[in-house]
Amino acid sequence: MSKVIDLKGSILSLTILNIYSDDIQQVKLEINEKVEQAPSFFSGIPVVIEPKVSLVDPTFLALLVEFLYQLQMIPIGVRSEDPGIQDQAEYAGLALFPPQEHKARHKTVPEELKEDMPSEIGALVIKHNVRSGQQVYAKGRDLIVLGSINPGAEVVADGHVHVFGKARGKIFAGAAGYADAKIFASHLNPEMVCIAGMYQLSEDIDDKAKEGFVEVALKDNKLVFNSKILG
Amino acid sequence: MSKVVVVTSGKGGVGKTTTSASISTGLALKGYKVAVIDFDVGLRNLDLIMGCERRVVYDFVNVVQGEASLKQALIKDKRVPSLFILAASQTRDKDALTKEGVGKVIEDLKADGFDYIVCDSPAGIEKGAQLALYFADEAIIVTNPEVSSVRDSDRILGILQAKSKRAEEGEDPIVEHLVITRYNPARVEAGEMLSVDDVIDLLSVPFLGVIPESEQVLNASNSGLPVILETESDAAEAYEDVVARFLGEEREQRFLTEEKKGLFKKLFGR
Repeated sequence: MSKVIDLKGSILSLTILNIYSDDIQQVKLEINEKVEQAPSFFSGIPVVIEPKVSLVDPTFLALLVEFLYQLQMIPIGVRSEDPGIQDQAEYAGLALFPPQEHKARHKTVPEELKEDMPSEIGALVIKHNVRSGQQVYAKGRDLIVLGSINPGAEVVADGHVHVFGKARGKIFAGAAGYADAKIFASHLNPEMVCIAGMYQLSEDIDDKAKEGFVEVALKDNKLVFNSKILG
Repeated sequence: MSKVVVVTSGKGGVGKTTTSASISTGLALKGYKVAVIDFDVGLRNLDLIMGCERRVVYDFVNVVQGEASLKQALIKDKRVPSLFILAASQTRDKDALTKEGVGKVIEDLKADGFDYIVCDSPAGIEKGAQLALYFADEAIIVTNPEVSSVRDSDRILGILQAKSKRAEEGEDPIVEHLVITRYNPARVEAGEMLSVDDVIDLLSVPFLGVIPESEQVLNASNSGLPVILETESDAAEAYEDVVARFLGEEREQRFLTEEKKGLFKKLFGR
């Protein structure tokens, strides 16, 4: 049997019309000016209206919609948190879009992560071995593993990673983008080390770095293995 | 005080059932009342190795689902008194087992005065294996000295620490023990197998002992005899040591190095 309908989610790119004035005449004038510059561009495009001021005139949206249709644009919805505007939108037969989420967090600044979880002070300490298939994530802080990280295990920290046992799994430091994050290990023979997205596989790690205490750091977009850090 | 012991490994074919059979027999020989349960529903094995496959009327699934009583389903071993077997069903699959049902069976066995309830886990890390280890107080991890087996054992150790009843209820963790089966010192020396030290280094679990690789194990399995009863075989002695160490006895490790063939053996070729 062939499908008749199918509902699917999709992310579309739409044009937003920001409104900074509650004077409908002024708004119409400005829109007209814009459209005259390139009439074909605006013909038939779907538009979401986002009023940045409160609209006192209860017919504002209805008038604006009418006007946009005249210019061959297709207003489909409104994005606003203002209940008054939402009422108008419903009346004008426009869809409601949720207000834009706050801008994605800037990833390289650890201060913001601290703000994110003020209660998580200090490092996450794991006292046992991290075994194959297990994952540990120290969100917004350092990670200290007193046991070993076995092959097939993954440890991730937004800060530094310290391993007191044998480090044989995958180790990610600065996972949220903190480029000054470091990995400290007394026996480093990992499947992978990664700092702020720069990674290196076991086979690309110099054998010398796998003996004794070593610090892994990110310098000029390259991972540097320093085994002389303790002098 | 009854103890629930799971024999598990992650990987298949490493000797879980052989080990379950021998350890439960060994414990019964020491005078304990022992029940051994085959959790590998759909693929019975334990009853074959214990030599009681022709005496299975009711099985573990029947009991879990309330179709038979424990008394009806427990098969009394003919060789060792105080040893009982609860066979797996061949006609069902692992979905027939429920946590509540299994818990009830284990509670009933405890109430019946069993000292040890040995759970022979199926391979893998899915539902069947997780049910077998869920109620455990102690775990015997069976590993072959090769990388994939050790890796899978590491994985199942992680599950033991995270998904058992003891872990979920915040009680003391399951006591872990390690048995390395199919150990062949000659191949270890040749670098074809991991050494005991390599395995212990990786798993860091208290070590009960090795079971040397030998034909006796296969022969005993084929004739329905737990290899621990195959007296005078290395494997039987090794399992006897393992049981003693499991019970807390100190015994020197054996079978770790290649047996040097004496002049006599060389001359007569064995």
